Amino acid sequence: MDAFLYVGLPYLSLTVLIVGTVVRFRQAPFSVSSLSSQVLEKKQLALGTIPWHIGILILLAGHLVAFLVPDIWRSLTANRAFLLTVETIGFMAAAMAAFGLSVLVYRRLVTARLQAVTNRMDLVVLGLLLVQVLLGIGVALGKRWGAQWSAGTTSPYLWSLFTFQPDMTYVSDLPASVKLHLGLAWVMFALIPFTRLIHGFSVPLGYLWRAPQQVIWTTRRRLTRETARAGGVNPETSRRHFVKGLGGLVAAGVLMSVGVLDKLVGYFRGQRLDRTEQVDLLEKKLERLRATAEEQSLELERLQKDAILVAQLGQLDPKIGRYFTDYQMRPALAFKGADHLPILISAKCTHLGCTVASNVDDKGQIMCPCHISYFDIRTGQPNPGAPAKLPLPRLGWLLKDAKGTVMLTQDGAGNRTWPQGQEALDPASLDGLEVWIAKRFDTEGA
Amino acid sequence: MKTAGRTRRFVAFLAERFPAEKMSLQAMVQKKEVPVHRWSWAYYLGGLALFFFIIQIVTGLMMLFYYEPSVATAHASVENLTNNVPGGALIRNLHAWSSSAMILSVMLHLLTTFAMKAFGRPRELTWVSGVLLLFLVFGFGFTGYLLPWHQIAVNATKVGLGSIDAFGEYLPGALSDLPRQLRETIQGGATVGQATLSRFYAIHVIVLPLVSFGLLGLHLLSVQLHGMSPGVDKPTGRTEKFFPLFILKDLKVWGVVFLMLATVAICIPFDAFLDYPLAAPYNSLGSTPDGIKPEWYFFWMYYPLELLPFWLVAGGMAVLQVGLLLVPRIFRGTSRKVLKSLAAAAAIYLIVITLFGQAIYEMFSGGH
Amino acid sequence: MRALSAATSAALLLLAVETAHAYPEFEQAIEKNAGRTIDCAFCHINPDGPEGTKVGQIGSLSPAEFQALNRARTAFEPGAQVESPILNAFGNHLVTVYGKKKIVALRADPLALAAGLGDSDLDGDGVSDAQELLDGTHPLMSHHGNPWRLLGVNLQRAWFELIMLVLATLFGVYGISHLIRWFGHEARSALGGDEESKDG
Repeated sequence: MDAFLYVGLPYLSLTVLIVGTVVRFRQAPFSVSSLSSQVLEKKQLALGTIPWHIGILILLAGHLVAFLVPDIWRSLTANRAFLLTVETIGFMAAAMAAFGLSVLVYRRLVTARLQAVTNRMDLVVLGLLLVQVLLGIGVALGKRWGAQWSAGTTSPYLWSLFTFQPDMTYVSDLPASVKLHLGLAWVMFALIPFTRLIHGFSVPLGYLWRAPQQVIWTTRRRLTRETARAGGVNPETSRRHFVKGLGGLVAAGVLMSVGVLDKLVGYFRGQRLDRTEQVDLLEKKLERLRATAEEQSLELERLQKDAILVAQLGQLDPKIGRYFTDYQMRPALAFKGADHLPILISAKCTHLGCTVASNVDDKGQIMCPCHISYFDIRTGQPNPGAPAKLPLPRLGWLLKDAKGTVMLTQDGAGNRTWPQGQEALDPASLDGLEVWIAKRFDTEGA
Repeated sequence: MKTAGRTRRFVAFLAERFPAEKMSLQAMVQKKEVPVHRWSWAYYLGGLALFFFIIQIVTGLMMLFYYEPSVATAHASVENLTNNVPGGALIRNLHAWSSSAMILSVMLHLLTTFAMKAFGRPRELTWVSGVLLLFLVFGFGFTGYLLPWHQIAVNATKVGLGSIDAFGEYLPGALSDLPRQLRETIQGGATVGQATLSRFYAIHVIVLPLVSFGLLGLHLLSVQLHGMSPGVDKPTGRTEKFFPLFILKDLKVWGVVFLMLATVAICIPFDAFLDYPLAAPYNSLGSTPDGIKPEWYFFWMYYPLELLPFWLVAGGMAVLQVGLLLVPRIFRGTSRKVLKSLAAAAAIYLIVITLFGQAIYEMFSGGH
Repeated sequence: MRALSAATSAALLLLAVETAHAYPEFEQAIEKNAGRTIDCAFCHINPDGPEGTKVGQIGSLSPAEFQALNRARTAFEPGAQVESPILNAFGNHLVTVYGKKKIVALRADPLALAAGLGDSDLDGDGVSDAQELLDGTHPLMSHHGNPWRLLGVNLQRAWFELIMLVLATLFGVYGISHLIRWFGHEARSALGGDEESKDG
């Protein structure tokens, strides 16, 4: 059965096609066309025949390309976008063809005037074509991405036929629907010489580009009037522009909508992440949420509390500053001064707000890395000629002992007070005291 | 008596600007003719700006599906959109490129309509609504720039809003604090933070679009009512029909421009022009990276601000804004020849400052 | 806001000063070569470099991460697969390709770092890591690269979309051009029709 379907039938049908066509051309050359019925019924004809021919020509072209250059075709369809585009265009063409053909069949069946010129073969051809197109749609839907797999199955098989070394192995395990589609195709090839399908050999390709001709069914007087009425314009030229214009827009619209739809569907389907990507994404989000939370808890602390712990005085260093956040949520630095008391200074550069580096150079200065301003940590003054003109504000501080008693305070201007008396402060135990910033010193720093 | 006269004059003014007899589809669409002459290309610029505006709306709406306007997640959501969502990078890129293209075409539109004296009677309101739309477009640019919440966005916004403070220096006594209060009202807090992001987001996606729909409606209505301005002193007498001929040509231009825009958006990520530390998420406690600058379309006022005394630039800006709105009055009697020279001078300034602003700045500031 | 852009000169001066950068020579050389500002996040996890207590800095590491760090620090010869917790994928890749010894030696000729990287392209943006290093664009961000190089790469990558776009535009322009001519014809014949009706 397969042998007949895949090898016998093709050769039989091709023989019939060639012999039959040659005979028909020699015996009745002017019958190589399709009998027109436009005069008998126009509206449905246009509704049917135009979509049908556009659709079927696109489909045939697609089949032909996949058959002629299977290798190029395969590499092209490996591109997902290309494959999607081709398949979408294919489905659109198939839908047009099926719709047009259905209209044509309906028209043949119900229009009384057409019955007279309809022979049995016309109906057979129309029926077979409809079945073939529907089968094709079925195959394309049921066995997806035919544009791709056909290049590895049917194309080499067809090549083997045409090189007279028939090889059925390529196609032997194809499903029944595909077999039927192929078999029907061979049957129709054989039918070509005996039916109106023969008009495929006399395609009026030159029509679109030939000089306009006007078919006049009338007398000379009427002709003159018609041309005058059209303002000297040939209506056929006009109509042809309309057809070309519409064609161009439809083609552009189809291509654009395929591309845009492809992008839109992907966009709204959203991200499809594998596990590690999901983990990365969530980790990153969590990290940013934590940073925000930390920032906000600092802010809350500064709103609620009148004083905030910076560090133990013993932890401070004269050379490497310790970063902390001041009441205005700006970075600040804490050092231990030469007198073993703290130095607290804003680290927000007065030039452009960069954060000043924390290490002190030999001249007792810290540097802003952005535009190289050096600030003296004791006075906050920038070096002469620095981009920064204003000094870094100094921050006030409190020194508390372990019990929370305030031993010494200094405001932003450097004024010190000893709430417990100056003698209560033991220079030897300084390192055990805690350095706090206080809200009441904040106004100077602002 | 006096008021009655004024009212009558006002009604007459409106009647001339919005002639009721022309308020029909026939008059506004079918009968409209577009003059044909050497400057006809300029008639496409307004439509082009409209086209980019449409693209902005579509891509902007699409990005709303993924964007999260909070300081903690804004940057991550934009990153997710760019890196993970299929086509997300393209949509964002289209939005960025098209915004620049829109501003460019709006600027060109302004210059050409000025040069062609398209603001003459009865087209004053067309001009004024156009200038207001121009301000809105810059507003779109300024507010939209903040939304990705990366370093350059937040810091440039800080600097932009910070320049409001500089007015305080020139105000007497108690008033001198007013600019700072104004800035804090705009940004919703002492610094640029969540409140600022929420406000800019609302302004960018709701307020400005709604206002521009209104203004755009007025602008287009008056364009259709009065037709295209003749544009040249000696009309060639040749015209073409607005519908369908000019519309179709417009569509053709849009098609070609879309091809160019999409090619650029597919091939060049807009952010690739930035140094990458500037695109890192904003860090309020960290140091500020180098190279904070506004978008190119603000260079024309940014570099003068950097180089010249503030009062001079601020005064110039005020004069420019009022002047633009009053153009139909000021240049009522000016010839097209003079207008063209003025427009050309403005164009040369814009081109030079946009392309070579950085070099000029470095030359005059003397580096450090 | 004044003087923000003296980036290169600032960077030069900056590097003369002792800072927390692990290998400032590389940052300096790249910035000078590319004319773009970069930061420590080129190779490290934290943009402020490895020293500190924030994410990706030494102060934040867990004991297990410290072990990984020590393994990475002893990867003197090329070929070791390291996962240093303070380096990003590009930093680790550099250690794998060169080994610590060679990297330290290359401080004398920082841009030679690019030469041994071959064709590797960690972010897959089509611009090789070596080129991104020379351009000062991030080797791990697929949307960051020299714009003109990305243009060349993406023109090739998106050939199909672009050809379809060009085709669609050509079809559209062709269609509109013919519609314009059709309207022209229609208008003229309508004119003819009007005249006739006036005659009648």
